Amino acid sequence: MHGGKGGVFARILGYIRFFFSTMDQSHRNKVTEVTEFEVKELENLFVLLLMGSFTGVPSPPSFVAAELLPHLEHEIKVLNERAKDSFDSLADMASLLDID
Amino acid sequence: MKTIFFSGKGGVGKSTLASAVAWQLMEAGNRVLAVSFDPAHNLGDIFHTKLSHRKKRFKKTDLFLQETDLEQSANEYIEANMSLLNEVYSYMQPFNMDSYFNVLKYSPGVEEYAAITAMEKLFREEQENYDYIVIDTPPTGLTLRILALPRITVAWIDRLVKLRKQILEKRYTIHKLSGKYSEKGTKLAYEESEDRVMQKLLEMRERYQNVRNWLESDKNSICVVFNPDYLSLRESQRLMTGVKELDLPMHTVYHNKLDNPNSEIAQKVEQDLLKGRSDVTIERVPDIAEPEPTCYIMDKNLIQTFQENT
Repeated sequence: MHGGKGGVFARILGYIRFFFSTMDQSHRNKVTEVTEFEVKELENLFVLLLMGSFTGVPSPPSFVAAELLPHLEHEIKVLNERAKDSFDSLADMASLLDID
Repeated sequence: MKTIFFSGKGGVGKSTLASAVAWQLMEAGNRVLAVSFDPAHNLGDIFHTKLSHRKKRFKKTDLFLQETDLEQSANEYIEANMSLLNEVYSYMQPFNMDSYFNVLKYSPGVEEYAAITAMEKLFREEQENYDYIVIDTPPTGLTLRILALPRITVAWIDRLVKLRKQILEKRYTIHKLSGKYSEKGTKLAYEESEDRVMQKLLEMRERYQNVRNWLESDKNSICVVFNPDYLSLRESQRLMTGVKELDLPMHTVYHNKLDNPNSEIAQKVEQDLLKGRSDVTIERVPDIAEPEPTCYIMDKNLIQTFQENT
């Protein structure tokens, strides 16, 4: 009997804990979403600036880019993604700000 | 160790004077290395010997000679970087991306970069081995770009470091709040010490800052050689302005191939050149009618200013 009751309590407690931790995580994710977007923008900017000679903005000497290139795989991916989505940046913004 | 750069318009006698100064410094009891960065190497011709990028002792004296091949340095540098690139982006090889990277070889600025890299290596490695390094430079335009490069690069790297710091700070915030920082299996760095891009940037910054510090220090001296004609006057003026803008030390200009010290044009050129520059002295070098192979042993004492300044 007691064991059963304890089990129910434990389960309820477990659900509550799960509920709160999920809520916590979702809140945390919500908070970092904007920052993540910002980071992506900055990473995009970093590579754009570095390889400015390809895009026409004033850029550092090309060998600086050449020396960093081996370590920039992630940033170049971001750059490509941003370039792909750039025609729909308004939608990007809207989803970030929860506008339907 | 001290370094002396000889610069000026093509054909004014940079190499000859650099050789003469190097020779005289050696005669005065110094260990001297004369290096040519000029793609049109004359150093070997002046000393009647065949030179390469390896140092060569001149007739058992304390004078050493070397011709730096900028093209070769550029190739070496690019190959070192390309092999790293090809390693990292090896999956691109089937698409012949490596041949695309190879095109970088012809990208603008590589020659200047090679010169700076060679210079940095020279300053670092030979500091203890020589009392003087005399450098014969390529003509004005390239020389100014080479001398400006460390400064420009440091300024750019500073901007990039600032931006990178922002990225890492934001990544750190995300990591603290949500516990993650990895994407599709690859872990992204959020600490400066773990970020390879940041490390590379800082390493490059230090390298260029060292060259810059050296060039701007009182251990370095830029000399301008000019002739008594207006073309070389104009170019020398540009060069002197450029050197001043870069805050590089300049004490001596050489008035070379002077037929008659009192000739009107020579005086006017000198006056024009030294307008508003009280910190610079002129050394007059008379014209040697016959370009003798021994012209580097000139009677005139050319090294006085260096000895005074040291």
